Amino acid sequence: MLQAHSLLWHYLWIGPNALLLIFAAILWRRGLYRIYPSFFAFAILSSLGEFTVYVADLASSVTPEVWWRVFWAVLGIEGLLKFALIAEIFGKVVDSYSAIAKLGKFLIRAVGGALVLAAALLAALAPNDSRFGIINGAHLLQQAVYLLETGLLAFIFVFSWYFGVRMGRPIFGISIGLAISACVQLATWAIAANGVLPPTNRTVLDFVNMATYNGCVLIWFYYLLVHQNIVVKPLLPPADSNLDLWNRELERLLQ
Amino acid sequence: MTLAITLIIFAALALATILGVTVSRGLRLSEGSGETRIQPVDVEAFRNLVNPTEDEHLRRRLPAADFRHVRRVRLRAAAAYVRVVGRNAAILVTIGQSAMSSSNAQTAEAAHRLVEQGLLLRRNAAMALFRIYIALAWPDAGLAAQPILDGYRDLSGTAMLLGRLQNPAQPVRISSY
Repeated sequence: MLQAHSLLWHYLWIGPNALLLIFAAILWRRGLYRIYPSFFAFAILSSLGEFTVYVADLASSVTPEVWWRVFWAVLGIEGLLKFALIAEIFGKVVDSYSAIAKLGKFLIRAVGGALVLAAALLAALAPNDSRFGIINGAHLLQQAVYLLETGLLAFIFVFSWYFGVRMGRPIFGISIGLAISACVQLATWAIAANGVLPPTNRTVLDFVNMATYNGCVLIWFYYLLVHQNIVVKPLLPPADSNLDLWNRELERLLQ
Repeated sequence: MTLAITLIIFAALALATILGVTVSRGLRLSEGSGETRIQPVDVEAFRNLVNPTEDEHLRRRLPAADFRHVRRVRLRAAAAYVRVVGRNAAILVTIGQSAMSSSNAQTAEAAHRLVEQGLLLRRNAAMALFRIYIALAWPDAGLAAQPILDGYRDLSGTAMLLGRLQNPAQPVRISSY
């Protein structure tokens, strides 16, 4: 069952990307593409990119070298879209608060810079098989993209938690789905890029990645579409006891 | 192999952090949770602890080693105050955010101001804490805590205003109780 080109393998590759295209159509119909333009672009282009790679994988006329070139191209586009999406998430979290916007942007640039250096260092230290340069390169690029993605998303979560800034359900849903997918894929691509598993056993990693991505697409559906119809109660209505305590503090301050 | 393990550990830690932050946030926001209660802060005592004149006086009166010891004790106490102030600011940010979507324009505006001031104070508290830790390592270094005191005063005023706008029937006590 956990073999390439098995029924499950076809479903896990096609299923989430077909769902993501449907999801993009719903976003368009509800006008949400104006609020989340990067996420909308990501949903369309990454699923179309995955379909291209899938078709190239099945087509007998496509040589392995051409397939890896297609894979590289899709990987590059997906990487750029993901960073645009992370910028959109971070903008939605901090832009409306001038008190922390500047500090947040400074910190995320610093974290991003440090992660780029770490990714370059890890790629330089990874074992390099010159016979399959194009494959090794793709694995290392994946590893670098997921390292950056994981680090930046973890930073956004910690930053918003520290300052108590509410993300909003849709942005939280997009972030948590992206973060889970990035963390799992970072671990699996690290195994692939550093030669921990023999190439014959790497299909298992594909299954792990595809199943995780399937779950993440469902998370996006849930947070962006299902919860929109639910009236959200204010998270913390100011309790009288809190305000009383605060007033007592103020009294002390004014004395 | 070592690189792969390092990256797997990094990915696991990042996922644990993200999920931990999400769960902790949920607990913090839940009504009745002990953490959501604001802790009173003795601003005068804090002001005394970070007063440069007091430090200067102690420096003149005490031998160098004793001064460093006393200064470290005072800095640790100041750090405890700043942590509480920062936590209170975060709680008020949460309160402000829940009132920001109010249909009453005045309430929404007061809530937005409270959130902005709370975030500014939280940021200042983090920076002050950083400076206090540096001063703990070098007890002779100076310490700027005035923005914390000013921020705290502004935040108090805005929180009161929001309280008054949300519960107009309930008078806000400013004098004795």
